Amino acid sequence: MPETASLQKRKTGRKRRRAGFDTAFGRAMLQVVAVVAFFAVWEIGVRAGWISAFLVGSPSGIFSVGYKMILSGELVSDTWYTLFEAILGFIIGTIAGSLLGLALWYSVFVARLVEPFIVAINSVPKIALAPIVVLWFGTGLVSKVALSVSLTAIVALIAAYQAAKDADVDLQSLLISMGADKHQVFFKAVVPSTLPSIIATFRINVGFGLVGAVVGEFISSQRGLGHLIYTASSFYDLNTVWVGLFTLMVMGFVLYYVIDMIERVSLPWKQSSTTHQVQV
Amino acid sequence: MQQPPVQLSVRNFQKSFHGKAGEVRVLDDLSFAINERDFVSIIGPSGCGKTTIFNIIAGLLEPDSGAMHYRGEEIESLRGRVGYMMQKDLLFPWRTVLGNVLLGLETRGVDRAEAEARAREYLKGFGLSGFENAYPKTLSGGMRQRVALIRTLIMDPDILLLDEPFSALDYQTRLYLEGVLKDAVETYHKTVILVTHDIDEAVALSKRVIVLSGRPARVKIVHDIEIGATSPIAARGDARFSGYFHSLCAELDIQTEKTA
Ligand SMILES: Nc1ncnc2c1ncn2[C@@H]1O[C@H](COP(=O)(O)OP(=O)(O)O)[C@@H](O)[C@H]1O
Ligand SMILES: [Mg+2]
Repeated sequence: MPETASLQKRKTGRKRRRAGFDTAFGRAMLQVVAVVAFFAVWEIGVRAGWISAFLVGSPSGIFSVGYKMILSGELVSDTWYTLFEAILGFIIGTIAGSLLGLALWYSVFVARLVEPFIVAINSVPKIALAPIVVLWFGTGLVSKVALSVSLTAIVALIAAYQAAKDADVDLQSLLISMGADKHQVFFKAVVPSTLPSIIATFRINVGFGLVGAVVGEFISSQRGLGHLIYTASSFYDLNTVWVGLFTLMVMGFVLYYVIDMIERVSLPWKQSSTTHQVQV
Repeated sequence: MQQPPVQLSVRNFQKSFHGKAGEVRVLDDLSFAINERDFVSIIGPSGCGKTTIFNIIAGLLEPDSGAMHYRGEEIESLRGRVGYMMQKDLLFPWRTVLGNVLLGLETRGVDRAEAEARAREYLKGFGLSGFENAYPKTLSGGMRQRVALIRTLIMDPDILLLDEPFSALDYQTRLYLEGVLKDAVETYHKTVILVTHDIDEAVALSKRVIVLSGRPARVKIVHDIEIGATSPIAARGDARFSGYFHSLCAELDIQTEKTA
């Protein structure tokens, strides 16, 4: 069959010699070296008295504080607490926002009606809502989740609405010519074509979920990494602050790869041959 | 030879679009008839309104005035009963080959197992077994258009509306698919209206060719093609082929002079 030939050609054409460090292992080594060097310079700088341990902490101090906090279980419980708030906010916000955004496809009238309001809400820095949210929802878990929801929902809503508007009209026309009704057009053409955009918002929203949780904890809370960072910094306990920050970083990192995996599993048709960038 | 009965008649279609540059009259009192088991090609200058005609028949657009009759009965449109195939293959990228073929049966609510069995049979018949679970982006243009053709045929539509279905393909693939189409139309006893800008293709495939004038579109002339060859390639070797080809060219040439 002549058509399959193009597939095979593409595969063989991809083999390209890469120079020296540009392999998965080489890159990982360079990355590890960079991290180790960074902490070494920091530690040496502090010990030699070039930089103030009081203002920046020190890697050895961070390590021993972190170790103690892990042993006492304090770090783990704060981490779970913040993670729980962030993920809950992310899930509720993203689902609610996406559903609302998609629902706007159903009525052009309603969509046009509410569009300026969505833009207005979006232009408010949601973090500014934090004090009110705490007033309304108290100092516990709910206020952090609510703040995360307010941050993530609007992002998901706008992305879903935009993607639904951009869904290929020809695919929709084809379905209509087949006799499909509005629901079928929605579920068979619109929803699937918005999925890549919606999943792309996961990446942004996972970060916003964490922002909501941490800022909520800054304002008022008895638990969580935000609370840990906030109270430690008021005591100038920089090492503890760094422990909190690095934990947040690891958390964001892990979540990023989880999203990556979700993307790969849920959009199999997007995979293969799209990951390659043009070599310039 | 006795004339077969009329299956679809289009009477006095008028359609204008209101764009930024004012009103564009696309169809002006357009009428034609399609017989049972007909294979009619529509040719005409680009932008004259051929796609618009299909969109009206398929129920995607409403004419400003005019009427359609299907087997003598007045109808609004043939929505849900046509097999509309467009220039772009319009395969759903998130659906596999099988999923794409099943699209129409799904919208009709056909039982899943039954639909799948039918789909596999069609795929096999068109040389696509083994590709059921492939995504469209991994297929060549010719294969994609074959999937689109199966998706159209499997719904057993009353009439096939093919809007320049092969124009994006290379000549060799196009010849091959013309043969596939011709065979399928014979096998499944279908009526076809084919829009093409390829006069050669129109003569090789059709029983009749409708030549449209430039915008607003009117039927300029209807040519009967009496080649009756078994395959589009054989048709191209027929002694009368070049006669038809040249007279259709002449029809179109006169028009381009007029509209230029
Ligand atoms: N939805 C639309 N709104 C405005 N103008 C349109 C629309 N669809 C088609 N037209 C115009 O109508 C004319 C005929 O279009 P079309 O039927 O696609 O032509 P063809 O298929 O013969 O090339 C073109 O000039 C095109 O610009
Ligand atoms: Mg067209």
